[in-house]
Amino acid sequence: MISPTNLRKTILCMAFNAKSVHIGCAFSLVEIAHVLYSKFVDTKKLQSLAPDRDYVCLSKGHGVMAIYASLYELGMIKKDEIENYFSDGSSLTGLADSHVPGIEVSGGSLGQGITVATGIALSKKIDNAPSKIFCIVGDGELNEGSAWEAIMIAAHRQLNNFILIVDANGFQAMGRCESVLCMESFKARFEAFNFETIECDGHDVNALETNLSKLVNSSSSKPKALIARTVKGKGVSFMENDNIWHYTRLTQETYQKALSELK
Amino acid sequence: MRDVLSTFLASKAQADKNFFVLSGDHGYALFDEIRKKAPDQFINTGVTEQAMVGAAAGMAKTGKKVVIYGLSAFIPMRVLEFIKMNICYEKLPVIILGDGAGTVYTTLGASHQCGEDVACLKTLPVKIFSPADKHEMELCLKEASTLNMPSYIRIGKSDKPEVHTQNKPTKLSSIISLQKTSSETAIFATGSMVSTAKIISEKYNLSLYSCPILSFYDSDEVLIALKKYKNIITMEEHSIYGGLGSNIADLIAENGLNGKLTKFGIKEYFTKGCGSYEYAIKFHKLDFEYLDAKIKTICSL
Repeated sequence: MISPTNLRKTILCMAFNAKSVHIGCAFSLVEIAHVLYSKFVDTKKLQSLAPDRDYVCLSKGHGVMAIYASLYELGMIKKDEIENYFSDGSSLTGLADSHVPGIEVSGGSLGQGITVATGIALSKKIDNAPSKIFCIVGDGELNEGSAWEAIMIAAHRQLNNFILIVDANGFQAMGRCESVLCMESFKARFEAFNFETIECDGHDVNALETNLSKLVNSSSSKPKALIARTVKGKGVSFMENDNIWHYTRLTQETYQKALSELK
Repeated sequence: MRDVLSTFLASKAQADKNFFVLSGDHGYALFDEIRKKAPDQFINTGVTEQAMVGAAAGMAKTGKKVVIYGLSAFIPMRVLEFIKMNICYEKLPVIILGDGAGTVYTTLGASHQCGEDVACLKTLPVKIFSPADKHEMELCLKEASTLNMPSYIRIGKSDKPEVHTQNKPTKLSSIISLQKTSSETAIFATGSMVSTAKIISEKYNLSLYSCPILSFYDSDEVLIALKKYKNIITMEEHSIYGGLGSNIADLIAENGLNGKLTKFGIKEYFTKGCGSYEYAIKFHKLDFEYLDAKIKTICSL
């Protein structure tokens, strides 16, 4: 069972062992990953790479620890890979890398994974396959012009199998999105780009499930966008909305303190 | 050359429902045939070169055979990183067509000219082809479509005279001999420059090789040829840095050969001013008169 708490614990374990950064970016999408893998993706087909399987494409590659943690729960990543994160010659990189089974697109370079996810959706649409292509982008990532090229293609080609989830945690690398490059309102923006769009609390599991169900089951020919309002660093009080956890590494003390909050 | 390409794309699409051609709103008449014969397999993504490359990768990852097309100034130049991460890193056998390479679009200015594409792509795992005429184009397309890796076909000035007028090549190789002589000087040329090289090599009775492959080539084959000559001349409508001339320079240096190399290619990065193709070629000192005089001097040394 993929529980948000377990995912956060695994993320902390990885980040502590590896002395890795990007904890805040991973924590903001934990509930999104939990809901996708628990409720929307046929994980048996995911593991067998069936041609009609669903896809979870992490375009905001910086949040990859949340996906690794999910794939670990699904048995697609082994315990020693989690424990030896960042050790020499290990397989899991610090940004989403498609060479890892279960990681569908390389999301290290922002604004790229979404373009590949669009191509997967186009291909599956051509084949009339039942696959759903979920793509997680960051609100900061949407600064990239290439993302909007992909969004326009998805809308023009009526890729209603394409479900874009914006992990809108309000921060990007150097500060608050609204002060770096304000792109709000995302909802109005996606509607203007011909996406069927819903906005909801990205940490409310029931709201995520309800709204994703609406989008997945919609009869509209439009591609879908879920603006998931999230909190960077969600789940650990001293990390929440503090952008330093984009860059900071855990010490023994902060690790134990963070773990103690995850009960 | 463009007719061969147009026919190839249309017939491939007709033969295979899994074959797709993507263009970022470029190509126009080139795609008339495929649009007529297999309209659903030609996808104009709009002026979205970056997303087109990513989408092509997504389609290729899910089993489609994909060709992407654009002007070389944009495909691969504008989208180099997308090619690196989504096509090369994934080892996808996408065929990349870069049209108008070199100084073809002289009247349109620096944005549409491209003398850097081969140099930029050569550090990536992409097999680079540079056909000189329709016969080489046919062979390049055939080989590219059988590869299990990405490939790039550089399409330069397409209305230059055919170079394989007597013996049509039946198979592609790193170098194709066009004239064998006992001269101590040989010209190695690629793409649009082969026809000019041919006139000069005939005039001075020099050996001439066309080089339709610019990466992942059979270096043994090229080395055997290079060892025969005292003077080695390269000609390309591409920067002298990182193209055919640099390939040959590497082989000469790494193998301790004694041949003296003279590289002819684009040295001035941008064409100064506007004008005809002939004007640009003259500006970059790739015109017949300039090369003729230079090579005459080399031969008489």
